[in-house]
Amino acid sequence: MRFVLKLLGFVAVALIVGFGLSYYALSDGRVLGAVRVGPWAAWPAMGSSAPDPYTRAYLVRAGALQLGQSEGIVFTALSDSDGHPLDRNCRYRLEGATPVASFWTLVALAPDGSNIATRGGQQALQSRHIARANDGSMALYVSRTLAPENWLEIDGTGAFELQLTLYDTSNLSGSGTSVQALPSISKEACGA
Amino acid sequence: MRFLLGLGAAIVLGLILHLAVILALPAFASQTTWSRIEALGPANHVVVLPPVAAGAPNPLHLDPELAYAVCRVNLAQRPGVVSGVLPNAFWSLAIFNKAGDVTYSTTNRDGIGQNLNLGIFNADQTHLLAEQQIDVADGLLIVESNSNDVFVLVRIAPPHQAERARYEQALSKIVCGNIRQ
Repeated sequence: MRFVLKLLGFVAVALIVGFGLSYYALSDGRVLGAVRVGPWAAWPAMGSSAPDPYTRAYLVRAGALQLGQSEGIVFTALSDSDGHPLDRNCRYRLEGATPVASFWTLVALAPDGSNIATRGGQQALQSRHIARANDGSMALYVSRTLAPENWLEIDGTGAFELQLTLYDTSNLSGSGTSVQALPSISKEACGA
Repeated sequence: MRFLLGLGAAIVLGLILHLAVILALPAFASQTTWSRIEALGPANHVVVLPPVAAGAPNPLHLDPELAYAVCRVNLAQRPGVVSGVLPNAFWSLAIFNKAGDVTYSTTNRDGIGQNLNLGIFNADQTHLLAEQQIDVADGLLIVESNSNDVFVLVRIAPPHQAERARYEQALSKIVCGNIRQ
């Protein structure tokens, strides 16, 4: 009886480690190959013609149309700059510079990947259509409640993620190897 | 001591299991990028993807600001070709293989301008091309593919969403298929 219990424990530990690590590696906990800048993370190998086994497994699981390395790169943020998970109940201010690119888009997504912008409103902020200060700086707001300047109005409750896509950028795609800066994400207020 | 040895062995077995899962997953996945594109329509036919709607599932992870066209081509018999004239806006092109890897990508900033004129050749066809046994039109951008089953994805960024329909129409006019010999 004691042997059977030990065997069951052995198998349970092996299964938890094996499948737990796999789930972690293939969800947003992908640590291998990630480039992190503040709260943002990107996986440049996703657009490669020969991705590593972890990236390939992730791509197969996602079944998505990723950007090729010459086309651009996607940065994802699940938390603000202080490390707190993004919450649709709060208003966030994005401030700072973006790397050189032909243009970029910013979208807010639910954990299932659906766009959480208000129906009928704009689904994304795009660099060509935002208001900037005279010195070129910008402030973007993502919230359910009214916000000044460049506002991405979102809907619903619960966690969400921000996705910043840089199109036609040299950063991490081809000749570039680094990203100097990405906008900070600051939580301003929470509640109705 | 025996407990720690047993625990270590279980963790090692778990790591082996983990590696097996990572390596085997591509072979067992059913809802892959390829299967999703295959379900959109027949080969050699350009399909303009419907725009992303707020709150709706977005399994292909499309950017709502862009319009997309996709075409599946088989290179087993003849090289593939994708051609068209696109509006004066940012557009890019990516070739995917059956495994879902991007084997080639470019943007219209790379000197292509508005004219899309791309030939996709497998290794044997590239060899024949080098020996001038295949005639191709002047100006065709030749790309070699390591796989016979590929699909081409064209992304275009309309300056304003009000112009989206015009850009989607331009995408629908892209010609895609095999080179006639």
